[in-house]
Amino acid sequence: MNDEMEEIIAEFITEAEESLDRIEPLFVELEQKGEDKDLINDIFRSMHTIKGAAGFLGYQLVVDVAHSSENIMKKLREGEIALSKELMDVILKSIDMLRVLLEHIREKDGIEEDVSPLVSELESVLSDAVNGQGAAADGAEADNQTEPGPQEKTVSAESIQVQNVTEDACPAPEAVISSEQESHPEASERSKVVPEPETATAEEPQQNGTAVKNAPAVPPKDHGQKLKEKSAQNLRVDVERIDKVMDLAGEVVLVRNRLLNLCNYFDQKYNDDPQSESLTETVSFLDRVTSDMQLAVMRIRMQPIKKVLGKFPRFVRDMSATLNKDVELVITGEGTEVDKTVIEHIGDPLTHILRNSIDHGLEPTEDRIAKGKPSKGTVKVDIYQKGNQVVIEVSDDGKGMDINKLKKKAIDKGLITRDEAAKMTDEAATDLIFMAGFSTKEEATELSGRGVGMDVVKNNISMLNGYVEISTEKDAGSTFRICIPLTLAIIQALMVEVSGEKYAIPLSPIEETLQVSRDEIDNVSGQNVIVIRDRVCPLFELNDLLHTGGNGSDRADNKYIIVISMGDKKYCIAVDKLLGQEEVVIKTLDGIDTSTSFVLGATITGDGKVVFILDVTGISRNLVEITKS
Amino acid sequence: MLDLSLKVLVVDDFSTMRRIVKNLLKQIGYSDIEEAEDGVQALSKLQNGGFGLVVSDWNMPNMDGLDMLKAIRHDAAIKDMPVLMVTAEAEKEKVITAIQAGVNNYVVKPFTGEILKEKLDKIFDKIASDQKVNT
Repeated sequence: MNDEMEEIIAEFITEAEESLDRIEPLFVELEQKGEDKDLINDIFRSMHTIKGAAGFLGYQLVVDVAHSSENIMKKLREGEIALSKELMDVILKSIDMLRVLLEHIREKDGIEEDVSPLVSELESVLSDAVNGQGAAADGAEADNQTEPGPQEKTVSAESIQVQNVTEDACPAPEAVISSEQESHPEASERSKVVPEPETATAEEPQQNGTAVKNAPAVPPKDHGQKLKEKSAQNLRVDVERIDKVMDLAGEVVLVRNRLLNLCNYFDQKYNDDPQSESLTETVSFLDRVTSDMQLAVMRIRMQPIKKVLGKFPRFVRDMSATLNKDVELVITGEGTEVDKTVIEHIGDPLTHILRNSIDHGLEPTEDRIAKGKPSKGTVKVDIYQKGNQVVIEVSDDGKGMDINKLKKKAIDKGLITRDEAAKMTDEAATDLIFMAGFSTKEEATELSGRGVGMDVVKNNISMLNGYVEISTEKDAGSTFRICIPLTLAIIQALMVEVSGEKYAIPLSPIEETLQVSRDEIDNVSGQNVIVIRDRVCPLFELNDLLHTGGNGSDRADNKYIIVISMGDKKYCIAVDKLLGQEEVVIKTLDGIDTSTSFVLGATITGDGKVVFILDVTGISRNLVEITKS
Repeated sequence: MLDLSLKVLVVDDFSTMRRIVKNLLKQIGYSDIEEAEDGVQALSKLQNGGFGLVVSDWNMPNMDGLDMLKAIRHDAAIKDMPVLMVTAEAEKEKVITAIQAGVNNYVVKPFTGEILKEKLDKIFDKIASDQKVNT
């Protein structure tokens, strides 16, 4: 296969998946709004387009599935059948199947799904609907006639006018129609049944359909111009190219940092030279421009988180049906932009939290009524930017977490001892659900029990340098708060020194730095600890964490400690010196297992040295094991 | 004979489709090809002039192929623009509407480069013979 073809196929998969992502939530909207022509049209058009392109590329299975669902959407659009749950379910199923098929194409695994059961289901649901829907079709047609657009008249008038000119002018198309009529009896049948002007009117809602697609907030009437401007300004660019620019911007940041250092040196050495001042000026200008550029490049990679949230309405719909709980999903801040990597990796953890909230958080309807709560449960997803972090909150108005129950379960599972449980604070207890092996079959329902525990959620979020915390209140509900840094490539770091080596520690999780004397450090059963404002925190030597073998300046009377706080976990790292704050570009390291070494990557500092960046998330994740060893 | 120096406008909302059609046109020998995402964008490009052929999808947001065709035929500056409409088989019943609106020819998805060339040949043969009649 040539490159061009490969590229076209890759583009097709991406574009088709985007279409599916976009139309999926429309179904839920459709279910709420009833038969909305714009929505139906939008879905129809997407199925139709996917089918068309798949046909060119020879993906017959995709064509078959898309064709069958398109048929249903078409009949819905023409008002020949009425919307029903059965229809929606089977079309949603076909969307799932299309995704599977696209995945096979992407993976080139050669697996041929058997789509025939689905296709026959689509067909039989359609024929059932057609047979049972004579009355509805009449109603819809009447509807069509009650609102004849002004367009209709001009269109039909024009058709007649032009007809004379073209009828014999272009014989080819007509010939094709008649020759193919036999193979498509349904098509020819409709061309008889549906009078021409009606065919023309059928186009009208299509235009409006786009209002839903591109600019939900813009009223249909003035969307034309705005959309035109918008679409003309979009450019599809290969991610690799953007990453290359990102990478180069990172390099520029590094050079800038070096230059700042050098500039300082020369400024001090030749401070009476007038050129020295203009050097400083130039470099500080470069400094500002570089920061702006970095931000601008970062923004290229940022996308509205809406992309991820699109599947949630349907997900909640399916869950609420399966669990027989009435659930309302409220999403705010879906326009908040996050890094592409976050978009790619936040979906699963968020889905899992959402599932958890609906399944375990919300009470069954009877219980809610008994408690005097509204029978319909609410799950809110709120996304907002806070400083250089993106915060995603998933909260439910359910029963809240029962701390004692959590503790008991963790003890039963052998995850903690009775002793530990007794000492555990409430915040620490809620964190138990993130421990591997906590999720149990006992409470696993059809939807929750997919072998993935909340521990996976925590790990996925840690991978994004983020953390998750829980707040809960009995009978008022629980909130999961996920915090993720805006960008994953460039971070603010605290530069420290141990045994003469420099290290960078990401700034965002650092709560404070302290200077302590040796006698303030206690040792509890082999683990160094320090009491900070009545709270006991484990204390680690950076050298021990990194297994560098160095012993630091153990004999020094005073030590600098860095207090790291992630969620409600707190620990301290002891270092020899604090050097200052620096903006560092994370460069991944080949040949180092970042999952076990507590090294996130490396960076080049202002003075040109390679410095390791500490993986504070990894340390916090493995706190228990580190403490034990 | 096809005039391969003509500037062609490919109109489709699905970028994969634009690319496929563009590739087929290149196979035929066209090299000056531009793209538009919908009828609105296409019209504004056409009105700026320079185009000699339009290959357009039917189903598009904002302004579909049919409405674009009608707008072209109503615009004195571009009313003679040859338009080839790309349709899916399920839309055949609508083809009559397109013919009435003045489409020069149509082609059913999926098609090969040869089929596309055949359709274009027909369009330009027809235009040539019409011109002979008129002169």
